[in-house]
Amino acid sequence: MGYSGARGGLEAILAAEDLVRRKRDHAPATWASTEQITARFRLAVDRVMGEAGLYDEPTAADAFRQAEGDTLEASHLLRAQRSTLPRLAVSEPVDPDEMTVLRRIVPAFREPDGPQLLGRTSDYTGRLLERPDGPPEPSPRATDTANGTVRTEDQRSPRRFLDLLRKMDLVADGRTADDPEPHDITRKPARPPADRSAVLAAMARSESGALVALWYRSILGPDGDVHEITLGDLRHGRLPLRVRHPHTGNPVTVGEFRVTEAEAIEDLDGAEEDRTRFDIGYGLCFGHNERKAIAMANLDIANRRFGRSGPLEQLLLLTLDGLDSGGFLEHLKLPHYVTFRSMAERKQAMRAAAEAGEEPPARAAEPAGKECR
Amino acid sequence: MSTAYDTPRATGIGALVAEADAGRPPAGILDEDAKREIRRSALAAVCVPGYQVPFGSREMPVARGWGSGGLQVTLGVIGADDTVKVIDQGDDAGVNATNLRRMIAQTTGCDESADTREATVVQTRHRIPEEALGAGHVLVYQVPVPEPLRGVQKSVAECARMHAEGDYSAMWVSLYEDIVRNGMITASTGYPVLVGGRYVMATSPIPRWDVPRLDEAAHLNLFGAGREKRIYAVPPHTEVRPLTFDDVPFEVEHEPGGRCKFCGSGDVYLVNSGTEGAFACSDTEWCARVQAGDADTAAHRERAPLALLPDPRARAGRRDTPTAGTAAADDTPAARTAAADDTPAPARGTRADGPEWALRVDGIGKVHGAGGASAVPGTGPEHSTAISPSTGAVVAAWDVSFDVAPGEALGLIGESGSGKSTVLRCVIGDEPATAGQVHLASVDGGASEVLALPAAVRRRLRIDSMAVVYQDPAAGLDLRVSAGGNIAERLTAAGWRGYHAIRRRAAELLDRVEVPLSRMDDPVHTFSGGMRQRVQIAKALATEPPVLLLDEPTTGLDASVAAGVLDLLRSLLSERDVAAVVVSHDFSVIEALTDRTLVMQTGRVVERGLTDQLFHDPHHPYTQRLVAAARR
Repeated sequence: MGYSGARGGLEAILAAEDLVRRKRDHAPATWASTEQITARFRLAVDRVMGEAGLYDEPTAADAFRQAEGDTLEASHLLRAQRSTLPRLAVSEPVDPDEMTVLRRIVPAFREPDGPQLLGRTSDYTGRLLERPDGPPEPSPRATDTANGTVRTEDQRSPRRFLDLLRKMDLVADGRTADDPEPHDITRKPARPPADRSAVLAAMARSESGALVALWYRSILGPDGDVHEITLGDLRHGRLPLRVRHPHTGNPVTVGEFRVTEAEAIEDLDGAEEDRTRFDIGYGLCFGHNERKAIAMANLDIANRRFGRSGPLEQLLLLTLDGLDSGGFLEHLKLPHYVTFRSMAERKQAMRAAAEAGEEPPARAAEPAGKECR
Repeated sequence: MSTAYDTPRATGIGALVAEADAGRPPAGILDEDAKREIRRSALAAVCVPGYQVPFGSREMPVARGWGSGGLQVTLGVIGADDTVKVIDQGDDAGVNATNLRRMIAQTTGCDESADTREATVVQTRHRIPEEALGAGHVLVYQVPVPEPLRGVQKSVAECARMHAEGDYSAMWVSLYEDIVRNGMITASTGYPVLVGGRYVMATSPIPRWDVPRLDEAAHLNLFGAGREKRIYAVPPHTEVRPLTFDDVPFEVEHEPGGRCKFCGSGDVYLVNSGTEGAFACSDTEWCARVQAGDADTAAHRERAPLALLPDPRARAGRRDTPTAGTAAADDTPAARTAAADDTPAPARGTRADGPEWALRVDGIGKVHGAGGASAVPGTGPEHSTAISPSTGAVVAAWDVSFDVAPGEALGLIGESGSGKSTVLRCVIGDEPATAGQVHLASVDGGASEVLALPAAVRRRLRIDSMAVVYQDPAAGLDLRVSAGGNIAERLTAAGWRGYHAIRRRAAELLDRVEVPLSRMDDPVHTFSGGMRQRVQIAKALATEPPVLLLDEPTTGLDASVAAGVLDLLRSLLSERDVAAVVVSHDFSVIEALTDRTLVMQTGRVVERGLTDQLFHDPHHPYTQRLVAAARR
């Protein structure tokens, strides 16, 4: 019969897979259970869920273990897993004001409505490396909640600082009466010009480091649109997830998820802007990831003000996804000898033409257009 | 070349292969709703050949860039009764190809084959199989970068506009500049093609060797770009032309005397093999079958693009650079006719019974700020202010009307801030007018109101109906591109596709504006201000537009250089049948160039008449001041 291809490639792949599996799963150390990972690597699990756009702690923990701690690889595993599954329902809109806060600070105000609640943070802990010999002694306080204090409703769900700013009439009101469907970037690729919801979604799912780097580029890079930002609310807390019951049609709470939420106050000073007021940028992402939420809030307002007069909107929509950028970078490891041969042939053709007496131009301009492939 | 990577000699490899061959129960890697979505996008792509259709690209178990787009398309179109072949670099056994084939077969239950003749779906990275493909084949390409314009335009919004309007002159300029710089087109792989005469498309990247196989192909080509979330298609029997000038042959890769070290074929795409300068087939299936005597090499030779092997004698080459002498010789009526024969004539809508004017402007007005027309009362020369007392808006121009006939030049004069340049910018479309109408005789015989036309149509008008020369040459030129390339931009936009005709026309124009032809291939940023302005004038005249707008054309120049440019403009206008509008603050410029003049002050026309009369007998005190300033 016909030609059957060699199998060397398959053997190499299987051997590589086997090597990974043996070194990882059969390493001479105690097995890291899913519970171990969710309990001890909470922030990594949160980051993976956020970058994957899929909230489920045990699944993210399994991906984190399988990826040997590579958060980008772990979020890839989650997203590929998501691709195998049908979309069964769409949740009801989430009202962030329903959040039960675990942590909440308002840097812009001394005594906002509700508490300044530090919660679980190492912000003020000296960064001193601990080298424990083993697990700590069991602590009777381990199962206590919030040092035993009981919080009131106002403390659990404090009014947001933005409400106070609005009462003081210090915020330009950008609210519109219409309520458009948000842009689902997982079904409809977003390109400039895009809705704000598309840009927010792209940032919420972005690779955290890429988002922070883009934000910092705005601060110290050769260009940038982030200015005098003050942080309003910064929250980490739990929100209920509701879907409509398929038979009754009523919203039913089916679970809870944690988010980080940030509101950034931007000084308006543009010619066409209301210079007597501030505007607010908004950030929200899965899990506890304050860097991401703050960068997102800053970049949201920068994008609304300057996204289309410069490159910012395209940067936000198209360059922040870790799977996109990482995948494209990693594809350079694939064989490219067909394309490289084609490129080398042109170099040789140019040289042959020059040797045949065709003089190269005396003053060559820079090329008009450079390709990336 | 059996594998791209060495196989580790780990123990138990045989057992691992056996385990893999035993097969696991098929587990889907893409849910059925997603496959439906992909098929819908693929159908749209087939309906609009070469157009990049957005789709809700899913994450695959392979990294984006590793064939996630191709994999989704394949999974979308394949069924259990299909047979799949996967190649990477033409090789079935490469690790990426192997990996994808394993995934596709395991999760769909389809058969695998490395034999193109048995396959119904071929997923490929970087190659088209050497074997013939027919109506029974779907060829699915893995595409890393689907946007062919990315090299010349980094803004995705602008790329989308260029595709929508078929505005590909930037691509043509890059090809023109390539030939000028290198004596040949050096674009190597992923060569841009024009599909169905409409969309410029990136070819995946396959080598140039494979590009002719797309033209009028019998099989369906589907391109999947997972990372950029685009699917596009070349349906069967679609015209696919590599972008090149009519008189510059498209060249495939060639190694003189090169043959595959395994099968001896010389009419295949060869890649380097080993360090001794040897070559081998990139298509390992074809190579093995040639060796086994199981290949129709005669039919293959018919398919091979041997007519497109590089021929240095057929190249445009820099030797063809027109010299001043040949350009002068070309500048004869006979040569112009010859040039016109191989180039499209600029579209002219002027009818014999059309209007006498080429351009008519009625009641143009521009208000910066709130209020629109209601801001106008209380402004103007009689109030000595352009600022609206009611709204605070600036009334930059109001109620400006004029027409210009072919062969006539009209001046707009006034101090800076008088609104004359605003009027020009509103007419050309650089800023939206608050009020008024513009008609061009070349557009529907003057029936259509130009300001009401869609932005895309107005941009087209600037190619061959109404050209503008700005005060700042950087506004009208790409300073990084050569003088000839800047003119080529306008000519290719107007449909010129002959490299030599473009060179001749550019040389003729540059010669006419007294730019030395030795500088024709230099980037404009190396030119002096006066030379840049001359290049801008040459570009504006390239398509002989019936209307020419000049905004302070000599203002940025030294006095002596300005005088030279002024002389040039005067003779250019006198020898052409062009309707010109000249904006200047300088009465000497207006006097040198124009027949009639409008005097503007504080956004209004305060006096109009024949230029000579205005200059010698100005009535309005403001005009008298301007004239006095010019005589000083």
